[in-house]
Amino acid sequence: MTFIIRRLLQSLVVIIGVTLITFLALQMSGDPTYLYVSERATEEEIIQTRAALGFDRPLHEQYLTFIGKLVQGDFGNSLSYKRPALGAVLEALPATIELTLFAMMLAIVVAIPLGVAAALNRGTPVDGSIMTVAMAGQSIPSFWLGIMMIMFLGLQMRFLPISGHVPFIMPLVQGDVVRAFSQLPQALYYLIMPGFAVAFYSISRNARLVRSSMLEVLGQDYVRTARAKGISETAVVIRHALRNAWLPVVTMIGLEFGFLLGGVVVVEMVFSWPGIGRLIFNAINQRDIPVVQAAVVILALVFITLNLIVDLIYAKIDPRVKL
Amino acid sequence: MIKRLLAVSGVALMALAGQALAAPPDNTVVVGFGADASTFDPAQISSRDNANIAKHIFATLFTVTYEGEVQPYLVDKTAVSEDGLAYTFTLKSGLTCEDGEPLTAEDVAYTFNRAADKANGFTGNTPGFVYTTLGFQSAEVVDELNVKINVKARTSLALGMLAQVYVHCKDSYEKMTLDQASASPIGSGSYRLASWERGSQIVLEKVKDPGTFDTIIFRIIPEASTRTAELIAGNVDIITNVSPDQIEAVNASGTAEVKSVSGTRRMQIGYNLGAGVADLPGAKEIQDPKVRFALQYAVDVPAICEQLLGATCERMTSLVNPPNGNPELQPIPYDPEMAEKLLDEAGYPRDANGVRFTIRLQGPRGRYLNDAAVVQAIGQFLTDVGVQTEVELLEWASVYSPLLRTKTMGPLFFLGQGGVTWNPLYDMSLFSTPDGATNYQSWTDERWFADWALALAAPTPEEARPIINRMLKLFYEEGPWLMLYFQPDHYGVSDRIDWTPRRDEEIELFNAKLAS
Amino acid sequence: MTTETLPGPAVAAKPISNRRREMRRAMRSLVAARWPLVAIFVLLCVAFAAIFGPWISPMDPNRQNIMLRLADPMTAGRQGMMYLGSDGLGRDVFSRLLYGARVSLLVGICAIMVGGTIGVIAGLVSGYFGGWIDDVIMRLGDIQLAFPFILLAIMFLVILGPGVMNIIIVLGIGQWVTYARIVRAQTLSLREKEFVEAARALGDPTVLVIFRTILPNIVAPLTVIASFNVASVILSEASLSFLGLGVPPNVPTWGAMLADSRDQLMANKWWLAFFPGMAIVMTVLSFNILGDWLRDFLDPRLKTNA
Repeated sequence: MTFIIRRLLQSLVVIIGVTLITFLALQMSGDPTYLYVSERATEEEIIQTRAALGFDRPLHEQYLTFIGKLVQGDFGNSLSYKRPALGAVLEALPATIELTLFAMMLAIVVAIPLGVAAALNRGTPVDGSIMTVAMAGQSIPSFWLGIMMIMFLGLQMRFLPISGHVPFIMPLVQGDVVRAFSQLPQALYYLIMPGFAVAFYSISRNARLVRSSMLEVLGQDYVRTARAKGISETAVVIRHALRNAWLPVVTMIGLEFGFLLGGVVVVEMVFSWPGIGRLIFNAINQRDIPVVQAAVVILALVFITLNLIVDLIYAKIDPRVKL
Repeated sequence: MIKRLLAVSGVALMALAGQALAAPPDNTVVVGFGADASTFDPAQISSRDNANIAKHIFATLFTVTYEGEVQPYLVDKTAVSEDGLAYTFTLKSGLTCEDGEPLTAEDVAYTFNRAADKANGFTGNTPGFVYTTLGFQSAEVVDELNVKINVKARTSLALGMLAQVYVHCKDSYEKMTLDQASASPIGSGSYRLASWERGSQIVLEKVKDPGTFDTIIFRIIPEASTRTAELIAGNVDIITNVSPDQIEAVNASGTAEVKSVSGTRRMQIGYNLGAGVADLPGAKEIQDPKVRFALQYAVDVPAICEQLLGATCERMTSLVNPPNGNPELQPIPYDPEMAEKLLDEAGYPRDANGVRFTIRLQGPRGRYLNDAAVVQAIGQFLTDVGVQTEVELLEWASVYSPLLRTKTMGPLFFLGQGGVTWNPLYDMSLFSTPDGATNYQSWTDERWFADWALALAAPTPEEARPIINRMLKLFYEEGPWLMLYFQPDHYGVSDRIDWTPRRDEEIELFNAKLAS
Repeated sequence: MTTETLPGPAVAAKPISNRRREMRRAMRSLVAARWPLVAIFVLLCVAFAAIFGPWISPMDPNRQNIMLRLADPMTAGRQGMMYLGSDGLGRDVFSRLLYGARVSLLVGICAIMVGGTIGVIAGLVSGYFGGWIDDVIMRLGDIQLAFPFILLAIMFLVILGPGVMNIIIVLGIGQWVTYARIVRAQTLSLREKEFVEAARALGDPTVLVIFRTILPNIVAPLTVIASFNVASVILSEASLSFLGLGVPPNVPTWGAMLADSRDQLMANKWWLAFFPGMAIVMTVLSFNILGDWLRDFLDPRLKTNA
C-alpha cells in the first residue's frame, strides 16, 4: 500500500514536470495569436485576440492559472476547435488505445510462438528465416511498412481495408454494448494493417528476445531433468521452458506500451486513424496549447497507471521482486 | 488445430473483405479530404476544407456560379441606396431552417450581427475577412422579408462577399451555447450534419433540394498516397489535391480519373521591400525595379508547371485572374540570357565566383501544391543566373504565417493568394494601402495607390477598366511579385460519379450525380 | 528506446588488466560467428562512403534539373551518368546516397554521443553519490519516459525548426535515460567492489575514482546499447522526415530520401525508395548484428545464442 501511495506521489511530480516542459516549450516558440486572427486583421484586433487567448499575461501567471484549472479538471477551450480541450482528447483517446492494445497483443501473441519455433528449430532454415524477418523488421521505418501494406494488401490484393477506423471502445464507453460487439469483427478487420505497422518492430524484437531466453532456459538443468524423466517435448516446452522464457517479455510490457504509443503518430497519419497521435501533431503545429497539455497529461496518466499495474503483476509472478 | 484456426480466420477475413470493400451505395457520395473540419459555428469557420463542408449545411444570400458570376440564392430582389452604403435585400418567401423554423429577415439580420458581436470573440472568415473587405457596419430588419445591410464605403465587391456568409436562424442559435453551436449546427441549406466522428468522417444527410445524393460522407485522409489508394480502390468517389506524380497512376487505374482545373490562387515569389528584412543580404538589390523585372526572365514557369505540377499553364501577367487582366500584357518568357543581360545592365555583374548577390528564399512546405519542390526549383533557377539563392522551407502555421504577419519573411518568399473571377478589384485589393495587412511586400509605389482610389470610386469595374489596365501594366513592369502561375488543382474523380470541379477551390456536390 | 537485455554487472566488473587476452578472444569469436564480420564489412563501406563521399560522388547532390526528373537508372545527365537515376527534382540519386551516408551516420553517431554523454554522467553521479541528486536525476528520467519520446521530439523540432544540429540534439536527449539507468545500476554495484574501495583508500580524488576506475568497467555494456541505438536513431530520423520535421531539403539523408519517395511509389519509380531503403536496412541490420554479437560475447551466459 505504501508502495502505491509513494508511486502516486511520484506520478504527481512527473505530471507537473511534464506540463511545465510542454508549457514552456510551446510558449517559447512564439506568439500563437497570429494563427487565430484572420488574414486582414487590424492591429487592434490582434491585440484583442491576444488578450482573449490569454497570451498577453506574464508566463508564470499563465502557468499558475493553468495549473489551478487543471486541478479542477479544466484544461480550457481548444484554440482551434473552440470547445473543451479535454473533450477533444478523450474523444481521440479510444482509437489510439485500440490501436496500441492491438499492437501490444500482436507484439506478444505473434512474437512468442515465432521465438519458440526459432529456438526449437535452432540452426535450421526455419530459425534462419524467422530471424531474418525479425532482423529486417527492426530496420524498416513504420511509415514505409504502412504505405507498402496499403499498396499491396490494400490496393493490389484488395485483401484488407486501405484506411479508416471502426470504433469499438467508444460505443462501449457510451454504454452501447450491442453496437460495440456487433462492430467488433469490422473493428478488428480495420485494425490489422495499422496494428502490424505499429507492432512490427516490437514483434521482431520480442521474437528474438524469446528465442534467446528460450535457448538459455532449454540448456538449464531442470529442463534436462524433466526431459530425462520422459515428459513429452511439448509439455517440457510449455510447462517448464516457456514459463521462464517469457519473463523478460513481461518486464517489457510497461515500457512497450509507451514505445508503441510513440509509433502511432506516424501510423495514424498513414492509415487515417482518428487517434490522439494525429491530434497532438496537429495541435503542436497549431500551437493549440490546451489540447497539447490535456493530451500530454492524459497520456502520462495512462502510462503511469499501466506501469503501476505491470509492476504489481510482476511482483505477483516473480516472488523475488520486492516492491 | 492451428491449421483449422488459420482456415477459419481466413474465411472470416474473406467474408469481411467482401463487406468492407464494396463501393458506396447509389444514394451516397464519398469525398476524401486532407484535413478535418474544426468547427461548424458559422462565424468561426475559416479553413477552406471546413468551408467546403459547411456550404452544404448553410445557405447564403448569394452564390458564385461555376462560371464565376454572382447570383442571388436566398435573395429575391436587391436594392442599393444612392450613395452605395445601404443594401436592401428581399428574401424569397417560404424559406426554412433545418429545424423547421421559418427563415425571415430577422434571421438574416441576426446572422450578420451575431458574427459581428465582439463579445463572442469570433475569428472566422465572416467577421475576419468578409466584414473587413465589405466594410460591414450593421444589419437591420425592415419587415418580414426585407433586410438592410449597411456598409462603410461604396464597393463593387459586396454581393460576391455575401456569398461567404452562412445564414442561420435566430431562435435556434440564441438557445445554444458557443460549444453547442460549434459541434451541432442547425443549418439553412439542403443538407444537415448527421454525424461527426472527429478525425475520421463527417456525414451529411439531405433535407431538401438542391442535391442529388441523399448522403454525403467526407472522409478525412491526411496522407496523399492513402487518399489516392482509396480512390483507385473505389472506396472514395472524389479526392482533393492529387499529388502530380500520381495523376498517371489514377488515370491508368480504370476506376477513376484526374480532373484538373486552373485555379484562381495566385502563386508568386514576393519581393519583401519592407523594413522587416532591410538588413538582410539581397534586400537592397530587389529595391531596384530593374532587378525585380530581370529575375522574371530567370524562372522557367511553364517547365515548373509541366514537370512539378502535372499541368500546362500560362505564366501570369499580373495579380488579376483571367479574363480580367490587361490583354496587352504578354507572359514573360524563360530567357536566362536576357535575365543575365538585364542584371548586368542594372549594375549587378557576376563576381569572381560567378555570384551577383546572395539572397534568401523562404517558402512553406505542405501548404500549396508541391510547394517544397517548386521553391527548391526556383532557388536553382535564380542561382543559375548568378543570384546565389539560399532556400529555406518552413512549417506554415506556426513558423511561416507569423513571419508573414510581421512582414519579416524573405527577402524572397513563396506565397499563394486566393483570387476570384467575378471582379478584378477583388484580386487587386491585396494592395489597397501601402501598409495594409495583405500588402506583404510593403509595396509603396504612389502611382498604384493613386490609381487604386480612382478605380474604387468608379461605379462599375467596366468603367474603371482604363485605370485598371494602367495599374496592371505598372504591376507587370515594376511590381513586387516575381510572377509564377495560377495554381492548378487536381481532383481525383471516380468513374462512378459525374462531377465537374470549380476553379475557385470551392467544392459543390449539389450537382454531382451517378455516371450513366 | 531500445530495451534489450543487458549483461549483468558481474561481467563488466572484470579487472581491465587482461585486456589483450580479451581482444584476442574477441577476434576469434568474431571470425567464428561470420555474420558480425559481414556486418563490420558493411559498416566499413558505409563509413568509407561517409568520409570520402564528396570525392567519389559523381555530381553535386543538390544540383537540380527539373527537365530530367525521375530519370531511370543509367540515364545520362547534364553532368554525367546517373547510375541510380534521378529524384523528383532531377538530382542524382547515387550522389545523394553517398552524401546521405555521411549525414545519416553523423546523426546516428552524434545523437548517441550526446545522449550517451549526458546519460553516463547522470548515471555515474546518480549511482555514486546517491541521495537527493540520485532522486532528482531519476525523477527527471521518469518525466521523460512518462510519455512517448517522439511527441517530445516533434514538439521541440516544430519549435527549433529543421536542422541537422537540432535533430542530433533532440534524438540525443531522447536516449539519455537508457544510459543513465544502466550506468547507475552498474555504478551502484561497482561502488562496493574491492578495487574501487582500494582506489578510494589510496586517496584518489572522487572525480578520478569515477572516471578512471568505474567508467572503464562499464564501457562494454554501453557499447552494446550504443550499437542498437544507432539503428533506432536512424529509423527515428526517417520517421521525423516523414512528418516533415527532418533535416532541411538541401541536406540529403536516407530517411528523407525514403520519405520523399512515397508520392512516386504508385508511378513505379522504384529506385527512389529501393536504394535509400536498402541503405537503411543494411546499415541498421549491421548495427543490430554487431550489437547482438557484442552482447553475446560480453555475456557468456547467453553464449548459446551466437
